[in-house]
Amino acid sequence: MSVRAVAGLATALAVASAAAEPCAAPAGFTSAGRVESRDTVLLYRTVPPRIEVGKHFAVDAVVCSKAAPSALRVDAQMPAHRHGMNYRARVAPQGDGRYRAEGLLFHMPGQWQFVFDVERPGRTERLTADVVVE
Amino acid sequence: MRRLVVVLAALAPLVAVADETVELDPVEIRLVLRHGPWPQPVLRDPSNRVSGDASAIALGQRLFFDTRLSANGTVACASCHVPTRAWTDGRAQAAGLGPLERNTPTVLDAALSRWFGWDGAADSLWSFAVKPMLHPAEMGGSARGTAAVVRGDPSYACLYEAAFRGPPGADPERVLVDTAKALAAYVETIRSGRTPFDEFRDALARGDRAAMARYPLAAQRGLKIFAGKGACSVCHFGPGFTNGEFHDVGIPFTLGPGRVDAGRHEGIKRLRSDPLNLLGRFSDDASGAAATKTRHVEPTHASFGQFKTPSLRNVALTAPYMHNGRLATLRDVVQHYSELDLDRVHADGESLLRPLKLSPREADDLVAFLKSLTDPRASDPPDPPATVAGCGP
Repeated sequence: MSVRAVAGLATALAVASAAAEPCAAPAGFTSAGRVESRDTVLLYRTVPPRIEVGKHFAVDAVVCSKAAPSALRVDAQMPAHRHGMNYRARVAPQGDGRYRAEGLLFHMPGQWQFVFDVERPGRTERLTADVVVE
Repeated sequence: MRRLVVVLAALAPLVAVADETVELDPVEIRLVLRHGPWPQPVLRDPSNRVSGDASAIALGQRLFFDTRLSANGTVACASCHVPTRAWTDGRAQAAGLGPLERNTPTVLDAALSRWFGWDGAADSLWSFAVKPMLHPAEMGGSARGTAAVVRGDPSYACLYEAAFRGPPGADPERVLVDTAKALAAYVETIRSGRTPFDEFRDALARGDRAAMARYPLAAQRGLKIFAGKGACSVCHFGPGFTNGEFHDVGIPFTLGPGRVDAGRHEGIKRLRSDPLNLLGRFSDDASGAAATKTRHVEPTHASFGQFKTPSLRNVALTAPYMHNGRLATLRDVVQHYSELDLDRVHADGESLLRPLKLSPREADDLVAFLKSLTDPRASDPPDPPATVAGCGP
């Protein structure tokens, strides 16, 4: 990667960061991660906090954006292995931009990637977050 | 977690300098430690109200060996799950009243499973127990016939009443399911014990070099391949040496002209249509938590031709291997992964799989490691069933 490309990327990230919505975790919500784009900030945590291989867990998410999403989908994949989970999470809105996804299970150790699809009328915005499970 | 990393970092140099042991890197050490401790506790099955109940276990043990549950009185659970063969039958493909097309899995440590059967078509041990009882080529029994056996044998009827807090009722289907729950309660007690690998793993955990050195070097080298370049630990994960899920590892699944064994893909279909699944009225789990897996499981394109990752504990005692018994020896299994034909793996399959290209010595070492997963008592005959006061001998 050239120096120019690095500088360009850094500028783009700074713009995106500057334009992102402020997003404060609600009381009692200890965020484990934050992902953001130009329009959206998403805070998330897993329940329980530590993900165990072969154990079901849930994901709580808070979505902050100017245009409220119509829905949130939560999935996960193992990019290096070219597969996802064997289970489909079901997401329920909790109000005030909060969502809970139930039924996730990572069946292998290694690097996984959460996939958050923020749906709005006419478009879907995808945010991802890497997580390593041992 | 930070404490574990510190401990592992401290262990690494110890492992490296020991003359009698094979060097494991920190990642390999972490993976090896994840294969224990053993034994693991078996938790009570919330979907089975007699799980752990002494009367149900005693009834289940008697039923497990009782051929009267089969259509012609010749086949019992123990006909295929033979205790002195590590609870398998030694056949490539099972045979009950007729020929079958899959290998008989051991029931050792079955209670630790998430899914049951090569295709995971059952989500509980008790619903899995019903399937061979009714399958025409296995035991060929019926709800009515099973209920008649349980009601007609005074000892069984007594144990049933002690376990289920009432006599066998008029509904044969309910009695069949309860019978399966008693069988499951018994099978939950069929557990394997410690192995030479477990001694090594625990010695590694406490940094006991002298104890580690008692583990044969060939097995240590094989373990390093297993946790390292072989990446076997990724699927054969954890204390049970299985992640409990399903994979296509390149074993052909054709059964004959125009016939295939679709494995997990069909298993999920059968699970969803099974009135005995954990979402149905026969589950005793009022919380619904036990059915989380059933509620969320999802077939994918890759599910076609996938079969359950078996535990490797006592694998040296359970030949032949793979879902259809296609491979006769452990050496054949190792050779399969060494020369893996990627053209046979599903296009959407696990990209982790690569031919391992093992040397003959590496293959021998991997086999030595697999043999070290053997509990020397795994093929011992079980103790006689316990007696329950008032229910006869």
